[in-house]
Amino acid sequence: MNRVVASITLRQLLSRRRTLLLVLLGALLLVVALVRRLSGMSDGTDTSFTADLLDHLGIAVVMPLVALLFGTGALGAELEEGTAIYLLAKPVSRLNIALTKYLVALGCSLLLSCVPILLAAFLSGGQDVAGVALGFTVAAAIGAAVYCTIFLALSLVTSRAFIFGLAYVLVWESFLAGLLPGIRTLSVREQTLALAKAIGDIPDSIFKADLAVGTAAVAAALIAVAAMVIVARRIRRIEITGETA
Amino acid sequence: MTASAASEPMAAPSGGEPAVRLEGVSRWYGNVVAVNEISFDLEAGVTGLLGPNGAGKSTLLHLMAGFLAPSAGSVKVRGRAAFGDPAIYHDIGLVPEREAVYPFLSGREFVEANARLQGVPDPRAATARAIEQVDLVDAQDRSLGTYSKGMRQRAKVAAALVHDPRVLLLDEPFNGMDPRQRIHTMTLLRELAAQGRTILFSSHILEEVERVADRILVVIAGRLAASGDFRAIRRLMTDRPHTFTVRSSDDRALASVLLGEPAVTGVTLDDGLLVVRAADFGAFSRAVARDARTAGISLFEVQPTDESLESVFSYLVRG
Repeated sequence: MNRVVASITLRQLLSRRRTLLLVLLGALLLVVALVRRLSGMSDGTDTSFTADLLDHLGIAVVMPLVALLFGTGALGAELEEGTAIYLLAKPVSRLNIALTKYLVALGCSLLLSCVPILLAAFLSGGQDVAGVALGFTVAAAIGAAVYCTIFLALSLVTSRAFIFGLAYVLVWESFLAGLLPGIRTLSVREQTLALAKAIGDIPDSIFKADLAVGTAAVAAALIAVAAMVIVARRIRRIEITGETA
Repeated sequence: MTASAASEPMAAPSGGEPAVRLEGVSRWYGNVVAVNEISFDLEAGVTGLLGPNGAGKSTLLHLMAGFLAPSAGSVKVRGRAAFGDPAIYHDIGLVPEREAVYPFLSGREFVEANARLQGVPDPRAATARAIEQVDLVDAQDRSLGTYSKGMRQRAKVAAALVHDPRVLLLDEPFNGMDPRQRIHTMTLLRELAAQGRTILFSSHILEEVERVADRILVVIAGRLAASGDFRAIRRLMTDRPHTFTVRSSDDRALASVLLGEPAVTGVTLDDGLLVVRAADFGAFSRAVARDARTAGISLFEVQPTDESLESVFSYLVRG
């Protein structure tokens, strides 16, 4: 990890206006949880609402969108804007630069997705909510790590990584994976939910996952490794052209 | 005029590898050939890279900066392949043409980040030195986002200089600079060249190149059309007569004498101004002095009128 690259990347990611939207997205999760608590709709035992909230808003929306913006913004946006040239024209290995940027993107993603998920779990509450909170928070961290590798790789393959990433989240993850059980194995969201259930030891009465935890863990690991291999290969070969040929 | 105008090679390596060497380099994008079979060496001094828009200047610079892999041939910086070897950046300082900088960093932070990434032993001292070199001390604590274009250019130059590289590659470095900044930066480049650094800069402003560069590289349609001292290149263009204006104590008498010289291809007296066209620069220079002396005519001025870089460039580009 290169400290200078990390510092620049962090400041760059946090200084973007989009980051404010991500903060608002996380806040939305908290607001829904808070409203639930203050409205008295919760009788203190309905943990399944909390699990559903974390699933449908936390894991399905906040986590992938946060990872999408940070994952594609960490390196791909710099390549597009032209500032990456100042990092790549240095005696620092390109892989080191890419991994540093990945770690910063992941750190930011954890901050803006896992922390709201954890807080929302306790705000929404429910019986034995600690297991739900633990399961969803840790699984969200793993899911964010997988998403970040995917989106980082995507940003090195196409200049329209954000659009393709958004399509992946909205079409593949939210729509196709729901329609076609066969492709759920390749859905990071489904993997995350299976991991959340296993890590938090959440009973079926509160929350059910469609994937077996072993399948989810292996699929998530394979996707992350494949994406990281793409990152490593692309960053070595990536070329920078001038504004005019 | 194209490759036929190519003159003497760039300065020969002074023992060992030259600072930058291109051998038979081509680069194409799909079916488009951006750079075609280019070879040259760069040694200490300032070299201006010239060419019309789209001629391949930026591609050449990016090849030398290790950002593009050659489709054919080899690009070496101080003996090492430029592409795929981050270690070459110890030796290279780069000023890219693109204006993008990190708007949230101050000028000092930007230059210091470059120093730290280069592994400079005392980054703060190196930063202070580089910022002073480009005359940016007063604005160093302002964020780059508030800089004018010329100030950003100077910050980029400081970032390129901060590790004291042997080779400087600058893509349109004077863009956006006001005349004072321009002169300051030109002087700086001349000083760095005098200290033995190899500097290549591209520019579309011929006057800049004429003032700063010892040598030029002219790229036209992806090919190297000429390289070397532009005055020497001009003298090699024997198919184009050299034009001189001459002022003397008796222009009419001198004109009639010069008409008998084999090197002179034409003489006109226009509004009292004697204009002479000569096929051979050296032969005419000797003949005019000799003939004037023999005829008892005092020579006040012999001025070549098409020896400027602009003329040379125009001849090369338009053919």
